[in-house]
Amino acid sequence: MAAFADLDLRASSDLKALRGMVETAAHLGYSVVAINHVVDFKEKKQEIEKPVVVSELFTTLPIVQVACTHLDVDLVCVTVTEKLPFYFKRPPVNVAIDRGLGFELVYSPAIKDSTIRRYTISNALNLMQICKGKNIIISSAAERPLEIRGPYDVANLGLLFGLSESDAKAAVSINCRAALLHGETRRTAFGIISTVKKPRPSEGDDDSLPACKKAKCEG
Amino acid sequence: MPASAATYERIVYKNFSEYHYMKVCLEFQDHGVGLNVAQFKQLLVSALKDLFGEVGAALPLDVLTYEEKTLSAILRVCSSGVVKLWSSLTLLGSYKGKKCAFRVIQVSPFLLALSGNSRELVLD
Repeated sequence: MAAFADLDLRASSDLKALRGMVETAAHLGYSVVAINHVVDFKEKKQEIEKPVVVSELFTTLPIVQVACTHLDVDLVCVTVTEKLPFYFKRPPVNVAIDRGLGFELVYSPAIKDSTIRRYTISNALNLMQICKGKNIIISSAAERPLEIRGPYDVANLGLLFGLSESDAKAAVSINCRAALLHGETRRTAFGIISTVKKPRPSEGDDDSLPACKKAKCEG
Repeated sequence: MPASAATYERIVYKNFSEYHYMKVCLEFQDHGVGLNVAQFKQLLVSALKDLFGEVGAALPLDVLTYEEKTLSAILRVCSSGVVKLWSSLTLLGSYKGKKCAFRVIQVSPFLLALSGNSRELVLD
C-alpha cells in the first residue's frame, strides 16, 4: 500500500519552525512530505535547487491549456483563494491525465476563512465534474504545524469535494506517489533507464573478483 | 411422507450500527486554554453550523465523555452524519480568536473499539 504523503508544506525562512512542521506531519501519520518554495514569476533571478516535482499555480485559461498539453510540469495547482474565472474544459484535462499530470487542491486556506471555504469547495466540485476524480491530490499549504490535518481527515475532505471513497483515499496516498515517480522519470531517458552512482568499496578488492574472472582462472 | 415446508425469514442488516463513535482531541496553539463541557459542545455545534448551516447544526450529537485537562472527548453521532461531523471538525480553525486544531484519533461504529488502539501496540 502506498504511504500517505503531504506534498505541500510552505517553506518559511525559519529552519526550526520547518523542522517542527515536519515532525508534526510525521506524528500525524505522513511518511512523505514535500516542501514548497513559492517562486514568483515576475522576479526572474531566483536560485532554487532543482526540485523533483514542479508544480505551477494557474489563474487564466490559456495558461492552463498550455500547461496541460506542453509544459514540463508534474502537478497543476488549482487556486482556491478566489472563484475560478474560467471553467475547466474536458479536452486539455484529458490530455493532462494521459500525460500523467496531477491536479492539486489545497485545504489550509479553507481552515482560516469561510469565504475561501466556499471557493475551495466550488472549485473542487467544478474540477471533479470534468476529470471524474482521476489524478487528484489533496494537500495542505500549511505554514504552521497546527494547520496540518491527519491523512484520514484529509481523505474525508475528499468525500466533501465530490470524490468517491476509494478516490479520496487515493488522493492522499497513491496519486502522490505517482506524482513523485512522474517527477523522477522526467529526469530519465523515456522513464526506463536511470543511472545511479554506486560507491566503490576500497578494501577487499582481491576477494571480490567478479565470478566470471574467477572461473577463467580456475578452469 | 413429504417433509413439511419450512418457512424462512431473511433479515438483511445493511449497517448494523446506528451510531458512529469518534475519539477526538482538541489542540490549541498556546497552552493554558480551558473549556468546560458546555463550551466544548457549543464549539462542535458552531463548527457544524459554519460548514453545513442550521440543518447540520441540528445533527443529533452527544458528548459521551470529556476530559478537561487533556481536552479529549468521545463523541457519538448517527451514522448518516459522520462524514459531516468529521469534515466540519477538520475544517475548524479557531475558537474565540485562538488558533486550534481537532485531532481525530479514532473513528469506529463500535464503542468497544475505542478502548484500545491497535496502532499503539508495541511488539516486544
